[in-house]
Amino acid sequence: MPTALTITPQRRRDGTVLLTVAGEIDLSNSAELARTLDRFSGGVVIDLTAVDYLDSAGLNVLFAHAERLELIAPPLLQPILTVSGLADLSTVHAPPGDGPAA
Amino acid sequence: MSERAGVGAGGDARRTAGTREVFADGGRTGADLAAVDWAATPLGPPDRWPQSLRTAVSIMLSSRFPMWMAWGPDLTFFCNAAYRRDTLGLKYPWALGRPAREVWAEIWPDIGPRIERVLGTGEATWDDALLLFLERSGYPEETYHTFSYSPLRDDDAQVVGMLCVVSEDTDRVVGERRMATLRDLGSDPTVVRTEEETLAFACRQLARNARDLPFTLTYLFAPEEGARLAGSTGLPPGHPAAPAVLPEGATGLLWPAAAAGSGESVCVPLTDDRFGTLPAGDWPEPPTEALVVPLQQQGGEPYGFLVAALNRYRPLDDAYRGFIGLTATHLASGIGSARSYRAQQRRAEELAELDRAKTTFFSNISHEFRTPLTLMTGPAQELLTRLADAEPSVRQDLEAIHRNGLRLGKLVNTLLDFSRIEAGRMQARYEPVDLAAVTAELASVFRSAVDRAGLAFHVDCAPLPQPVHIDRGMWEKVVLNLLSNALKFTFDGTVTVTVRERDDAAEVLVADTGTGVPAAEMPRLFERFHRISGSRARSNEGSGIGLALVRELVLLHGGTITADSEEGKGTCFTVRLPFGTAHLPADAVVAAGPHVPAVTAAPYVLEALRWLPENDTAAQQAGVGTAPAAPPAPQTAGKPAHVLIADDNTDMREYLTRLLTQAGYRVSAVADGDQALRAVRGAPPDLIVSDVMMPRVDGLSLLNALRTDSRTASLPVLLLSARAGQEAAIEGLRAGADDYLVKPFAAAELLARVRANVELARLRGHHVRWRTALVDSLQEAFFVCDGNGAVIEINAAFSDILGYGPEGLPYRPVHPWWPDAAADPDGHRAVADALTAVLRERHGIRTVPVVHRDGRRRWIAVSFTRTQDPDTGRRVIVGTFRDVTTEHYAVQRESALAALGTRLSRVTSLTDTLAAALDQLRELWRADSVMAVVLGSGDRPSVTATTPADWQELPEPRRRAITELHRRPLLTSASDATGGGILLEHPEGPMALWVETGRHRPFGDEDQLLLAVLAGQLAQALARAHQFDQQRVTALALQRAILGPSELPGGFAVRYEPATPPLEVGGDWYDTIALPDGRIGIVVGDCVGRGLEAAAVMGQLRSACRALFLQDTGPGRTLAALDHFATGVAAAVCTTVFCGVLDPGSGVLTYASAGHPPGILAGPDGATKLLEEGRSLPLGVRPGRVRPEATTVLPVRSTLLLYTDGLVERRRQALSTGIRRACDALVAGGDVPLQELAAHVTDRLAPQDGFEDDVALLLYRYPAPLTLSFPARPGQLAPVRHALRTWLENAGLAPKAAMDVLMAAGEACANAVEHGHRDAPGASIGLRAEASAHRVRLTVADSGRWKEPQPEANPLRGRGISLMRKLMDHVTIEPAPAGTTVDMHTRIR
Repeated sequence: MPTALTITPQRRRDGTVLLTVAGEIDLSNSAELARTLDRFSGGVVIDLTAVDYLDSAGLNVLFAHAERLELIAPPLLQPILTVSGLADLSTVHAPPGDGPAA
Repeated sequence: MSERAGVGAGGDARRTAGTREVFADGGRTGADLAAVDWAATPLGPPDRWPQSLRTAVSIMLSSRFPMWMAWGPDLTFFCNAAYRRDTLGLKYPWALGRPAREVWAEIWPDIGPRIERVLGTGEATWDDALLLFLERSGYPEETYHTFSYSPLRDDDAQVVGMLCVVSEDTDRVVGERRMATLRDLGSDPTVVRTEEETLAFACRQLARNARDLPFTLTYLFAPEEGARLAGSTGLPPGHPAAPAVLPEGATGLLWPAAAAGSGESVCVPLTDDRFGTLPAGDWPEPPTEALVVPLQQQGGEPYGFLVAALNRYRPLDDAYRGFIGLTATHLASGIGSARSYRAQQRRAEELAELDRAKTTFFSNISHEFRTPLTLMTGPAQELLTRLADAEPSVRQDLEAIHRNGLRLGKLVNTLLDFSRIEAGRMQARYEPVDLAAVTAELASVFRSAVDRAGLAFHVDCAPLPQPVHIDRGMWEKVVLNLLSNALKFTFDGTVTVTVRERDDAAEVLVADTGTGVPAAEMPRLFERFHRISGSRARSNEGSGIGLALVRELVLLHGGTITADSEEGKGTCFTVRLPFGTAHLPADAVVAAGPHVPAVTAAPYVLEALRWLPENDTAAQQAGVGTAPAAPPAPQTAGKPAHVLIADDNTDMREYLTRLLTQAGYRVSAVADGDQALRAVRGAPPDLIVSDVMMPRVDGLSLLNALRTDSRTASLPVLLLSARAGQEAAIEGLRAGADDYLVKPFAAAELLARVRANVELARLRGHHVRWRTALVDSLQEAFFVCDGNGAVIEINAAFSDILGYGPEGLPYRPVHPWWPDAAADPDGHRAVADALTAVLRERHGIRTVPVVHRDGRRRWIAVSFTRTQDPDTGRRVIVGTFRDVTTEHYAVQRESALAALGTRLSRVTSLTDTLAAALDQLRELWRADSVMAVVLGSGDRPSVTATTPADWQELPEPRRRAITELHRRPLLTSASDATGGGILLEHPEGPMALWVETGRHRPFGDEDQLLLAVLAGQLAQALARAHQFDQQRVTALALQRAILGPSELPGGFAVRYEPATPPLEVGGDWYDTIALPDGRIGIVVGDCVGRGLEAAAVMGQLRSACRALFLQDTGPGRTLAALDHFATGVAAAVCTTVFCGVLDPGSGVLTYASAGHPPGILAGPDGATKLLEEGRSLPLGVRPGRVRPEATTVLPVRSTLLLYTDGLVERRRQALSTGIRRACDALVAGGDVPLQELAAHVTDRLAPQDGFEDDVALLLYRYPAPLTLSFPARPGQLAPVRHALRTWLENAGLAPKAAMDVLMAAGEACANAVEHGHRDAPGASIGLRAEASAHRVRLTVADSGRWKEPQPEANPLRGRGISLMRKLMDHVTIEPAPAGTTVDMHTRIR
């Protein structure tokens, strides 16, 4: 049984897609994230504020789309994005009211 | 269940449901309880039971500790699963629901009164290891139980039943008892004892355990006799079950001697009427069976067998058989030791006896040959001269006689040489010579014989760069013997003699192309009287002593001789002689003497020629056959001097007559003393030559008669005797003989003596001659000393014994024969003291060590008298001494044996025994070093030495000598120029022992004998120490087995460190008890005293603590209950105990200490805290007082240390110092992994020589490590992360730090799932997380194989690993065939 993960896609006013993700992303469910991303072309904003855990399987999915992603990441996830190098390829924001992104 | 419930309760559904509910926690036992027809018991159906009973049953059933309970008027019996498993046996399920009195009918007399007391007073009882005979296995069984009965109350608080919490201790009690017996058996400190003493000691120990061994009999096999009773316990003497002898081959014997003799163990039922009435030992009934076990001898038939009557109340299981087996092994090894010691003793005595016999033989044999030899060679030689023109056949016969006479003479001389070498009286004169020239000249003597044999003879003697010091006479014998040997065994080819320089020494090689020596015979080549059998040789004659003599002579030169030989190819002997004189006794070295041609060659060459065909002219060629030209006989008044011969042997008489007549004397001859007297009175001769032994009037009587008659008193008399005994000479000279000649004598010698005596008789006063001759003939050494201690006169025996002749007189103190002051200070002092006594006292006797001129040490007994020189009136000391070396060494052997025995009795381990023995040997010999080399099974020999050494560092010759020793039989000693050695048994393989005495201290036969005797004793001691070591290991293993739990809850580490002296069982213990609510009971205690009693008390206290904890009494009440227990057991008083209950989740520790040293809590910040609250007195000191408790919370990542005082107590040191050091060690170990922490702490605190007291140690680190195992499925990752997240929080990690660890762990787990288990999804993955003061350590292990990260090939796959490396300080990935292990740790910031 895969780990619980909810992905809520929204189309923002500017036409970009916003994926609000909640739960933990790991080997068991990263394919679901990949499938969702494949459905949308063009720039995508992923809000990871409610994500507690992100492992390399999840990162691999994000890396595949890095150039067109904009990520909203909580402080707890920011080190992993920096350490993995994803922050160099994608734009990373802090959630609103959480201070500037690292 | 429903079926049986239906039978029991009549099928009422409601009732069945109620029954189920009561017994719901009981599992299988609950089901069986539910099946009981409760309606038929006084308790009625369960749904009507009072709540109190239902609760009691439910608690009991849910407990995993063995319990039973009884309730109601009949005390109806209940029990739980654990009780059923441990105790009830066959009585289950029959016992359920029955009156307790019926269930335990057989022990009711024991337990009934206790139950009544509980019911009557409401007070609990306590019994420790109570012996109960249970009938649960079909027979009354010896069992031990530690139990407590506590009251059970009904809803109205009336006592209506009781609950028993019990643990069975049977295995522990029985195990400890057997262990004590085995240990006592091994406790005999004596190194060596007789078989009888060994058995008597063992029987005393066996008799002390009449429970496991109601009686025992030890039978030993005696040849031709059968089995003989050698020891018994538990049976009165003469009991019918213990016949003194079981005759061999008899049938219907009481004990199966034949089966035991073939190595079988047999269990014998004791039903035969012939056993009579057997004693019961410690039991109510006598034994019904006995086990007969052989006393196995290593590699041989059993020595005998042990009959061990069996405890009828215990099963004969593996443990019991093992115990009896070990007992028998012990007896057998004791008997083996005693027998082999006895054999050693006997062998040593035989060797000494042989040595004495040999010496006697050598000194006697030569003389027995002398008369016949003189009568063969003398006349033969004379005839050869006279019959120079006779026909060839006559000459051949004469030559044969002469040659064989010489041969016999050569043999006698060789034997005498040996005799002299052995007695240390070989007087060598080492002079510098051109060895090449001397050897070439000797070789040339053999050339004709070699040519005649049709062999090529190569002599290659190139000049050497420097002279070599040899004794010419000895060297001739060496070369001639080797050449003679080469010729004897060579039929075609070449004999080669080579002299050359090699490695700074002279080498002489004598090689042949002869028959060679079989490899098997090589080791014995130089052995005395050993002849190589089966070899083709030119002659079968030979005594087998030639090469042995050669070897002795070469050794005297400080050289070596070796032989290389190949059968059928030839033999080469290599003699190596050092240059210079450092290897020779300084005073035996002389300047180069005049060149003298070889004098001993003739017999060798003659003998060799005799082996060859056509030996007709050989004699002449060897330069033999001319009689000595005697000087003309003295004249008396113009007439030839008249000699009267008195001899009863016609041959001798005629020979003497002929000899003297030819020399120009006028000779008359008579056959006895009587005739001689008459002849003398008729016409007094100028000289009488008389045999000593004659019929009627013998030589001495003749002498006496002559001296008492004034007319003949001054007539010179020459006595002849075949007897070597010097007493005869003294007797003769005392009686007034002028000279004395021992047979065989050369014709020339006789003529010279006759002539001298005739002349001297005229020239000298009689008394002067008499005195000189008397002194010289004394067998005892004789000396005269002046007032300053200078020796001014000595006799021949003096020169013989000390090697210093009259040419060196006077000898002033310090005399040259004194032991060297530096090398042997004791000996030097002894001689100096003796000299002082000689000068100061009137007379006395002293025994002192001296050094012969050749360097050998000898012992002499000196007796001396002060007197006045009659001529000068000066004070002189006249003394005699006798060589007492042999007696001295015999005494020395005895005392050395005793000293070694005493020394070895003080050490126990194998290593210490060997070290002590080497040290003792070094002292005994004042050796440079003593070493022991075990070849063993390893590739490198193991060396133990008084001066530490490595095998590779030893000089090559020493290595060779030691390797050589390993090829010799056991306990036969060997020696070379610088020491001696022997091979003996070591438990790890044959061991060569080498005593290095140095170049100036030859290792003589006495030394070899002494070494053999001591080596025998040492071998015994080593075997014994080995056995002792093994017993110690066993004893410790047993103690560890009765100590502490085998499986510890997580987070704990323990250690038990025995005290230093071996075999000390202590009273310290530790324990952890998993309580039903998940908490953990912790106990560390220390009973007073040591030894078995302390261990027994410890065992009881430990059981008690366990039981009390399980009743959830808490630390304080547990201690209070133990107080009551301790008052009843004297040895338990003053025990100190720390009791605690720990909640591993929250880290809350509730504890109480009964006088125990405070626990130490070390926080991650390096702060330490002592658990000093909750203190009260040690157990049993003031029972009844309240025991306070204290509570503390373990900080996150702190470590708790509990210990016994042995860890911190030191002599002359405050306890607080030790505790502070323990604190420091604990803080320093803050990041040491838990499993290494106990060793870390003890290693830091252990004193140099080990702990004086035993130490128990218990450690806990909070939180305990997290250990998870999960199937390799992606879906498992989230739950694992959650568990780890919680644990990380408990371990006090900040959220961010926790996230790093969590991610790294997640990657490792994901990798394990993804890569590790491609082929086996669902296989198990293990995760372990451990926190220490500043670190977190994670281990993830799977059973698959990872892919190496190859970023270029697959950037995605490598990302997980690189993340782990970025998130953690340290990551190692170890792939192995069994699986991959990821180990990561990081510092907590």
